[in-house]
Parts: sequence; C-alpha cells; structure tokens
Amino acid sequence: MWPNIQYYCPCLSSANALTPPPPILASSSASFHSLHNLYFCEECDAVRCNRCVSVEVSGYYCPNCLFEVPSASVRAEKNRCARNCFSCPICRATLSVVASDPPDDGTGRPITPLNNVGEGPYLLYCNYCRWDSTEVGITFEKPTGLAGTRWLVHFVSNAYIRVVAIDLSSTAQLQKYEDSAPESLEFERLKEHFEPFLRTSSLSSSTHLLPPTSHHLHTSSATAAASAALSRDIPGISKYNPLSRSRSGRDRTANKDEMAEYKSRVEVGLFGQLGSGGDDADVELLRCTETVGEIAKLEQRWGNSWITSLRMSELRPLRIPLHSKVSKRCPACRHILIKPEQKAQSVRYKIKLAAANYLPALSVGFPQTQAAKRALGKGVEPRNVGVMLAGITNNTFRVALTNPLYDPIQVRLSPQRVTDGRGFQVSLPLTPFSIGAFAEAWEYDDDEDMFGVEDDELGLEVGRGSRDKDARGRTKNVGVLERRANVTVVGGEVNVHRSYRGQVKFNMLVSYTYRSDDPLPSEDGAGTPSRAVVKTPEVKTFSFYTVVDLGPVLSKDDSESR
Amino acid sequence: MDTPIYYSKTEFIETDTGNKVSRRATIAGPQNIILGGKTIISSGAIIRGDLRRTGPGHAVVISLGRYCLVGEGCVIRPPYKTYRGNFNYYPMKIGDHVHIGANTVVEAATIGNHVVIGKNCIIGKFTIIKDCAQVADNTVIPPNTVVPALALFSGSPGRFVEDLPESTQELVESQTKHYYTRFQPLDR
Ligand SMILES: [Zn+2]
Ligand SMILES: [Zn+2]
Ligand SMILES: [Zn+2]
Ligand SMILES: [Zn+2]
Repeated sequence: MWPNIQYYCPCLSSANALTPPPPILASSSASFHSLHNLYFCEECDAVRCNRCVSVEVSGYYCPNCLFEVPSASVRAEKNRCARNCFSCPICRATLSVVASDPPDDGTGRPITPLNNVGEGPYLLYCNYCRWDSTEVGITFEKPTGLAGTRWLVHFVSNAYIRVVAIDLSSTAQLQKYEDSAPESLEFERLKEHFEPFLRTSSLSSSTHLLPPTSHHLHTSSATAAASAALSRDIPGISKYNPLSRSRSGRDRTANKDEMAEYKSRVEVGLFGQLGSGGDDADVELLRCTETVGEIAKLEQRWGNSWITSLRMSELRPLRIPLHSKVSKRCPACRHILIKPEQKAQSVRYKIKLAAANYLPALSVGFPQTQAAKRALGKGVEPRNVGVMLAGITNNTFRVALTNPLYDPIQVRLSPQRVTDGRGFQVSLPLTPFSIGAFAEAWEYDDDEDMFGVEDDELGLEVGRGSRDKDARGRTKNVGVLERRANVTVVGGEVNVHRSYRGQVKFNMLVSYTYRSDDPLPSEDGAGTPSRAVVKTPEVKTFSFYTVVDLGPVLSKDDSESR
Repeated sequence: MDTPIYYSKTEFIETDTGNKVSRRATIAGPQNIILGGKTIISSGAIIRGDLRRTGPGHAVVISLGRYCLVGEGCVIRPPYKTYRGNFNYYPMKIGDHVHIGANTVVEAATIGNHVVIGKNCIIGKFTIIKDCAQVADNTVIPPNTVVPALALFSGSPGRFVEDLPESTQELVESQTKHYYTRFQPLDR
C-alpha cells in the first residue's frame, strides 16, 4: 500500500555498489524492507536483513502444546511433536481428544467436543470440519496423556483389512509405527551405508569449514558431510555458511570408487505400491471415482513423510511439526544480532540489534486538508486522501522522521532522480535539518497538541527551510514544517508531467550525523580553548538508502469522476 | 502519519482511567468486566460480562488490559463447556495492547499482550493466543487452538503462516498507543 517508505539492504547488489537498483524495476522490491524487519551490525556499521543474516536454531518447541523439545530428541522424533498433538488430515486444524460416548445432555445433539470427560474409548476430533479418528479406526482408552494407552489401528486398504493392536508405552509409538514404513527403513539403511564414506571424506573439509555452532552440534556427521558434499559437487551451491571460502575439492573424488555397492531391500517398482496400492490400483481407484472429493488433495498429502493413500477417506492424523526459535548472526563478522531467550513462548531477547534503534524512522504521508477532515466519519480510520495528479506542479507530501537516539541528529535527504523531464520531479529540503533527541518522556501521553496542525499555522515555521515561493505567494510546501520532541516533519512537492502515468516512486539517500559514544579524548586537554572543546565531540555520519512510494498518478479527469 | 481518528464526543463515555466506551456498545454485566485503562470499546460492540460462572458472589468474567481496542460490531463472549455434566462459562483474559478488528467474534480463553486480531475473524472457544501473535483478517480459528507467540495465523481454518519480526512487541505497542492518541473527540 502507498504511501510508504522502505529501507535498502545492499546484500543483493552484485558488486560492493551501495546504490540500490532503480525503483522502476519490479525486482528492486527484493532489496527493500520495512525498518522493523532490519538488523544493525555495530561491528560492521551496516544494515542487515533476513535475507543475508545467517540463522541458527536455538531451540525447538511444539506450536500446539508449547513443549520445549530437547534438540537430542528432535531427530529421533522426526521433527514432530511426540505428545498429544495431531492435525486433521482433511483441514489441518488441531485435533481435540473427545469421548466417543458423551453423556446425554438431553438435547439430542451429536458428539460435541465439549464433554472432555465422558466414557471411553476416546477419539481425535476436528473442531473445524468434524472429521474424527474413528473414520480411520483410531481410538484409545484414556483421554489424557496418550502415553500408556492402547491404540487400535485398523488399517484399511483396498487390498486387505488388518487390525493392529499396538501396546503403547508412549505416544512415540505412533511414530515407531511411521518408522517401520518400508521407505523409512530403506532410508535408514542408505544412511548407514554412506556414513563411513562420508565421515572419512568430510573429516578434512568440514571440520575446519564449519564453525562450531549450536546448530551443528546435534546434526550427525552424515548430515554435515552431506551438506559439504553437495556444495562440493554442485558448483554454485554454497554450503550453509555465508562466509564461503575456497576449498580443495578434487582430492576426495577418488574415494567414490572404493565404495561398496548398495543393494536395495525393495525392488524399485515396489515403492509405488506401498501406500496406495501401486500404479494399477491407483488407476483402478480413479476409474471407480464418482466425485473428485473422494481423492485427497495434494495439499492434504504433501505434509506426510511417506507415500499415503490417494483416498481422502484413508488419510490419517498427522503429528504436528515442531517450530524453532532462531538466533541470527551478521553474515560478514559473525557477531550475534538476534538471540532469543530460551523459554519457547518468551518474546524477549538476550540480544536484539534492531535497525530501528539506530536509524531514524521515516514515514510518509499526505497533508490533511480541511476537506479531508470533513469527509471523515467518526471513528473511521481515514484513508490517505492525497493522490498524485498529472500536470500539477505542487502535489504535496510529508515525511516524518523520528530519532531513536538519545542525542540529537542532523539529517540530510537526497532524493534520486529517476525519470526524465516527462516524468516527475521531487522537491525536498536539501539542506541538513535537526531532529531532537529521544527521551522516554516523549512517550505519548494524551498530548492533544500533537496534531491538527493546519496548513496556515505552519506559515511561520516554513519560512526557514523552504526554498522558493509559489507563484501566487501562498505558504510554501517544501521545508521543515514541524519539530516536536524527537520528530521532525518535512514537506515535499512532486511535479508530475502531464503525460506521466504510473507510480511516483523514487530512491532517496538519507544521511545523518550523530555523536559517537566513544569517549572524547580532548575533553581533558588543559590548554585548549573552550570553543575548541565544544567542537571536538566525535561526530559520525551514516547513510542509507530508502525507496519512497507515493502511489499512482491520476489524471485530473480521473480524480474529478471519483 | 498523525491523522486523528475522530469520534463524536457525545457518543463516548470516558472513564477516569482513560477508557473510552461507546454508548452504542452493549456492555452486559459491567460489574464483571475489567478495563485496564486507555482501552476503546467501539460502537456496536457487544461484551457479555453477564455470562458468568454459576455460583454465588462476584466474579470477573472478561478482563481487558491497557491500550486495547474492541472494534465496531465485535462480540466478546466468554467460552463455555459442559464438564462432568455441568454446563459453565469460563472467564476470558485479554492482555495489554490488544487490537481486535471490526465484526470479529472472540470466545478465547486467554489472549496475551501485544496481539493484533484482524476484522471479520472468529476466535473459537478456549483458544489461547500467546504474546505478540497476530491473526489476519477473515480468519477462523477453531475451538481449542493454540496460537504460539510471534506467529501469524491466517485462513479458514486458521493456520500458521510465518514468524513475525523480532521487533513486533515494540511495533504493536507504539501502534496501539498511537491509535489511542489519534482517537480524538469532535464536538458536534
Ligand atoms: Zn541483506
Ligand atoms: Zn505438542
Ligand atoms: Zn478438520
Ligand atoms: Zn557484522
């Protein structure tokens, strides 16, 4: 939505060119982010984005029961919750445990999930689509802690009906059942087969290439080596390490020949028959299908670990996949930018270097005219009413800059020209202006003077920053319009050529100077005149690019018909 | 930017703690409802504080924290279930800085702090929404769902879409405070 303003992260630019791509290119949007999505590395003095930071898992948890899963059990449990958390095979909503035999409440209503303690056996019930696990023959004897209960899995396929009674010492038994799938066993065997080879071949390369990080602690040598092997064998794929270095890759290729031949346990063709009964059976199934609803949608099947039936009626509940908390590091210097607290549901961070704490926050909007004010209904959030008009020389807009630093800063804006004379030109105050320091006390507290500054009230202030006068001598629109607390509002104008249609979107370089936190060595200089001391506080400048999108241009006729 | 959101001065009652409650909202059982302060209840909203647990005495049915917004036409109703044969309502707790969009129906058990719920949503019975989570417009969250911290849920049924940025808490806090300051009376 427009108007908006986004910040540039240079990580996608090819050279070390810091200039962003022209905003006319659709692809330029990939390089721009909202300020609150960006990080700031103090070490490199640079903005980082989610695309370029390196990510490490710092903890796993189930998004449903919120249990924090120790990373040691994550692999064993195949990245899914091993407690009582299942999602509906039809709609993916979370399933509830309900009694199959609810006490009669006299209303004659069917099973409802409201009666958590009724008579067993219990079943999994979908509160959204009303699917329940008896449809695939899964019931159990106790409602809570599926651990220690007995599952009856009636396994129905078009070829045979099998009743499997599994004595469960824990819910993980359902997973054990998954693990006994032929594909799973085959995969384990393959891993075993390659493990020794990968271990020897990776010792030389991966040990010095992989920095010892928490993420890699629990990955097996096979996984690490596989990653190393992938990056070695496929040019252009770099391993999960943003600081890629050259590595010697040729010397190990010879080892490949020494590998023993692998014999599959199962004929290749047989795999197709495991879940659904094979190709012929699939064809037969489709031949007999009367409505498309009998066939499971792709969306319902692709979350499964192994091949499942094509029939909607045979889909089984899925254990819920785990989520992770992540730490983020600077790709260049490896310093930590984000480090969450260990507790899964905590929203606090031990380290959080958000760009919003370093860079001024810019927001763009259109001045609120009296007409717009009148048009607003009570309690209705106003739409921004400004629209750029073609053939108009003074389309006005405003940029509000908020200083997050405890010292005042000097800001300088440099909008970049994007089009020739037949496009649009942007006027903004080009001379530096100041923004007050941030103080906790500025937190809004019912300060009613904060808004409602009418255009004519601003006349006094405008005189300072603006450049030239309008032909009719009205108040100027370009310049510093308002200063309060740690916010400065500047006005700008856009001249749109009569023939221009499209977005008014331009890149803008923002430079700001701030007092550095470093101690000032000259402070104690005895002989220095006081004026020199005042000048000495170390001042630093930081620049970053933004893209300003003021929205589409309308012709006058369009706007009148609105 | 700082464009005010005007409301008619005669329509809203402002409490000592800065809550602004529309006269066109239905507040049933107000003695069972707690508003934390600087919370806005928009016109047409229905808050069912009267649906309280059976038994003697006075009980908090619905509590809302500071800087909350209950949008126009929202229904806030405590969840209920029959447990051991007894039908009962259960209290609902909503944290600070929680915005609920217009025409959304909420029957959650708990909603944490800094939560944003879109418009036209249904938040099913006994749903638990953790801190800094968000629910997109037009989402249906089935009963008993857990929405983890910093997660965005969307769709019907509502499902996890993505993790929200680390700065969500600050962002939502400043947005909700800002909204309250922009919410200004217009004499008419
Ligand atoms: Zn980046
Ligand atoms: Zn779980
Ligand atoms: Zn379902
Ligand atoms: Zn760095």
